[in-house]
Amino acid sequence: MKGFLNRLRGVERDIIQQPVEDEAGAPYYEAQENEVEIFEAAYKKRLPVMLKGPTGCGKTRFLEYMAWRLKRPLVTVSCHEDLTSSDLVGRFLLEGEATVWQDGPLTRAVKAGAICYLDEIVEARTDSTVIIHPLTDHRRQLPLEKKGQEIEAHEDFMLVISYNPGYQTVLKDLKPSTKQRFIGINFDYPREEIERKIIQNEVPELDTTQVEKLVATGRRARTLKDHGLEEATSTRALVYAGNMMVAGIEPVEACKAALVNPVTDDPELAEALMEIIKAHFAV
Amino acid sequence: MTQPEILAAIQQELADLEQISFVAHRDTREALGAIQSQGDEIALEWVRACKALFQHDRDAGKAFIRGSRAVLDASGEVLAWTNQALSFLQWRGSWKALDGFMGQLPAAYHILGSTGEARWAELGIAWCGRHLESGAAYFRCPVVELAATHGIAGVEELVLPAEDLFSQRRLALATYLPGAIRVRNLLGVEAVQPWAKRGADILQAGRLRGEAFFKLESEESMAMLLENLPGFRTPEHQRLLQLILYAWFGENFDLLDGNWSPDKGRAFVETDGASLYLPIALPSREEAILALLHAAGHLVFFSFERRYIEALFHEVGREHPPLDADKRITWRPLFAAFGEDMIRFQLIFDLCEDLRVDTRINARVPNYLTRLLAAAEAATLPAGAAAAYFELARQTLRWIASDAPQQVEMESWRPLLNESATIVDAFRIANLLYADTNLPPMTLAEREHAYLPGRSPNAARPVYPRRELDHAEFGTGTEDQDDAVKNTEIKPNPEKREIPKQAAGEDPDFDIPPEETTGSGGRVGVGIPQPAHVTGHARGAEYSEKGKPYAEWDYRDGRYKRNWAWVQEKELTELDANEATRLLTQYAPALKRLKRAIQTQKPARMAPLRRQFDGDELDLEAAIGYIAEKRAGMSPKANIYRQRVMQHRDTAVTLLADISTSIMQSSEGGGRVVDHIRAGMLLFAESMEEVGDPYSLAGFASKYRDNVSYYSIKGFDQRLTPHARAVLGGLSGRLATRMGAAIRHAVKGFDRAPSQRRLLLILSDGRPADYDDGGDERYLHEDTRMAVKEAVDAGVHPFCITLDAAGSQYLPQIFGPGHYVVLDHINDLPKKLPEIYLRLRK
Ligand SMILES: Nc1ncnc2c1ncn2[C@@H]1O[C@H](COP(=O)(O)OP(=O)(O)OP(=O)(O)O)[C@@H](O)[C@H]1O
Ligand SMILES: [Mg+2]
Repeated sequence: MKGFLNRLRGVERDIIQQPVEDEAGAPYYEAQENEVEIFEAAYKKRLPVMLKGPTGCGKTRFLEYMAWRLKRPLVTVSCHEDLTSSDLVGRFLLEGEATVWQDGPLTRAVKAGAICYLDEIVEARTDSTVIIHPLTDHRRQLPLEKKGQEIEAHEDFMLVISYNPGYQTVLKDLKPSTKQRFIGINFDYPREEIERKIIQNEVPELDTTQVEKLVATGRRARTLKDHGLEEATSTRALVYAGNMMVAGIEPVEACKAALVNPVTDDPELAEALMEIIKAHFAV
Repeated sequence: MTQPEILAAIQQELADLEQISFVAHRDTREALGAIQSQGDEIALEWVRACKALFQHDRDAGKAFIRGSRAVLDASGEVLAWTNQALSFLQWRGSWKALDGFMGQLPAAYHILGSTGEARWAELGIAWCGRHLESGAAYFRCPVVELAATHGIAGVEELVLPAEDLFSQRRLALATYLPGAIRVRNLLGVEAVQPWAKRGADILQAGRLRGEAFFKLESEESMAMLLENLPGFRTPEHQRLLQLILYAWFGENFDLLDGNWSPDKGRAFVETDGASLYLPIALPSREEAILALLHAAGHLVFFSFERRYIEALFHEVGREHPPLDADKRITWRPLFAAFGEDMIRFQLIFDLCEDLRVDTRINARVPNYLTRLLAAAEAATLPAGAAAAYFELARQTLRWIASDAPQQVEMESWRPLLNESATIVDAFRIANLLYADTNLPPMTLAEREHAYLPGRSPNAARPVYPRRELDHAEFGTGTEDQDDAVKNTEIKPNPEKREIPKQAAGEDPDFDIPPEETTGSGGRVGVGIPQPAHVTGHARGAEYSEKGKPYAEWDYRDGRYKRNWAWVQEKELTELDANEATRLLTQYAPALKRLKRAIQTQKPARMAPLRRQFDGDELDLEAAIGYIAEKRAGMSPKANIYRQRVMQHRDTAVTLLADISTSIMQSSEGGGRVVDHIRAGMLLFAESMEEVGDPYSLAGFASKYRDNVSYYSIKGFDQRLTPHARAVLGGLSGRLATRMGAAIRHAVKGFDRAPSQRRLLLILSDGRPADYDDGGDERYLHEDTRMAVKEAVDAGVHPFCITLDAAGSQYLPQIFGPGHYVVLDHINDLPKKLPEIYLRLRK
């Protein structure tokens, strides 16, 4: 598997990837609750899904895993504020004297029966979010306005969006009428035992007691979320810290680099976080 | 001279002396024998000195003669100090100085050695030359105190700086010395000079004030000392300490000024069962953190829980005494049975209870015990009886830090390690230990030294019994932080009361003064006025200007009460243009940075309008699309231009400030809360001018449901005038916080706003509350929550910025997670307010 992946590095690949079918190719995902069953049920009924949760808690990983499990290709679009509907649906291009229509990622997913993941959907302009409406109800259609066409979605197509209900999205929340069209799955940072498993799996070289301390540190640090931390310490950040340790950085320094420096410029908050880190790691 | 000649000379001197004074002659003869053991020649010198000094000044002579014997014993010689004594002949009236000199000489030899003694004498004699009274004060000062433990260097470090102070500011050593010694003892020698300089200035301004300063009797003297207190200064780290406690215990504790000063003895963190009282400084950061965790541990692990306190009194077969007027309880009756030996028992009890609590803390805070033990091992053993207690405490710590192995002598402590042990177990075990203890008896004065760093007397203050109910979600043993953090229900907490800001620092076991409720210090956000009387029914009928009515949500009935809260629009009439100017000058650098940030944000934020039908540049992408579509046989719209006009992100914002009484409190960041709010609103307004979004400013306050005042400071369609700035400069607090009504009114105000996206920023320093809420916190919480919901339905996004550190307990329920921020650093408010807006509008 590794060798296969290595051959793919630095090579252009199509955004629609047929899923790897073997067991060894399974993305590692540790279920937190019943999200796998919920997702499968939604998929069975072709209902669109909305993943909610703070950054770095495993949403993307979950989806990669589900795509593998359901043996569907996955198309991911990271939304941003300049994303137009053409960027999703497609546009005409000039080729020599002729013009050709080029499908956007959403159109391609609709045709290929892939899972289309619109990451951080609230970042996109509202005019781009409305085009997903007909895809999310019983019609399952994508209008191609420019071409004066409509596509019935492939029967395996599925739409998934994510959003992180945080401080930055107060003004950008999705319209209630949009939200209602989705099955919602709430994510949060995993429970302690699960988070340990995740860290251990992502950083196999890290020894168990360090994993335990790291997870305990992260959980403690999360309690300071409302005290000036815009984003709480994520599982991703813990994985980073673990990797830094394995790369030979002192635990306290590794945690500082991965858990403190990136998230705050507030000196007292940083000191309080360091206090937590030192309590666990510096003896 | 030959031997017989010398002896004859001595006899002659003695005869002369006898002529002058019977007593002098007698005393000289008495001492002579001993002196003569040093040699007759020396004895002659000495007798001559006796006569000379006596002739100069009878008292000086007497002091010299009578003191000699002891000095000889201490020094083993005669000539050196005899010659020094003769120096005093230079001055009239020097007997006081000489008397002091002779009195201290033995100690000087003893402590400083003979070279040190010489220097000591030299320094003092020089002072006699400068100012005789200062010289006298110097020699009368016990050498131990002068030297502290540093020998002659200690004397020099204290006295040499005074020479400049004397020559430059005429500060007498006599005035300086006693205070300087105390200051050095308390704060170290570095603190002495700044203190004395300040004192010298004050002295020049007024004699009485200056003397009070040097006697450390004046406020200003004490304040100056506290300012210079070495070690870890708690007021400067208030927020850090709060964050640490919150992280470990999931609670916001009130950290109040313990009103400690160095002359009150050792600095301890104390608690009254409700708040933590911090001394202004603790010896080190580590000790401060340990002490804080320890004291909070007592609260979290139920040392002061009502049920257990009652059980304790039951244990000794007594009713617990009635609560005092302040609803506090004193422990004293528990110890009454021990009579004179009360302190010994108290210490043992504290040892047990501290061990229990520290074990529990360690389960929550990793390595807490290791750190506590490390601090204890690094400390020097106290002198006297305290040492035994200190050592025993260390021993128990070592034992638990090494996982409490089986050890016969430790087994009686073991039950305390049990998770389910309570203070009642600590009390029982203390009684058993006391029954056959060989710990020495203790005095109150020595007691403070018996505690390990981080620990402190547990019954130091009368306590407010805590209700375990408040902690129910913490479980009684098993750690469950998720509950603490995610507790989503609004907890009605009718017992929450105004907390006294300050308490007397003495030992209230022996003397319980009523706590003072005024005073400085304290924290932001506790100032919800207590209902004066709970009426407020139909008072509005008297008003002709009833204003505008809004419905209010009553959670008890699950319905709205129609036309319930009446809002009147009013003008703020206190103007202070100078204050506004002053604030803008003070914050000019911050404002400049903000404006620069806004500028750099602009191009990205205000992207040129794309896909326009008209414009100065081609929109390349649109143009390609246009051509392509045209070729494909369609008829696309020719919107292929970009306009250089900056696009306005279509956001309108109202900044609505809670201006209730509580903002007039002093803030931990210095100044009053209102000062920061003024600056914050000004900076916000100035930044908004730069940003260009439509905005309005308003404040609100309330008294009863029919009297909600809404003060519009600047409307959407108004400019930021000097008048508006002056209003902000003169902003002050009044009345209470009926937030729901104010929100509803502000939402109506958006009718006049031109924009699509509408943001209502609410700046607050505490919970919604009003005089007529009958103490039911939940009532206005629920109403505010509904008002927020209504606002969202009306297309307005409320967002709360709070200064209340406890905000995260109730704001998620009212505004929704992510729809508020807690600013725990009030100094940041001015800068943060515009920043938060810029983030939100992105
Ligand atoms: N349940 C989980 N199973 C396995 N790995 C996980 C899990 N949760 C988190 N991780 C780890 O955390 C990392 C971050 O997760 P992921 O990228 O899925 O977060 P996200 O929620 O998509 O974040 P964002 O909102 O920032 O995109 C993953 O790379 C993985 O290492
Ligand atoms: Mg204690």
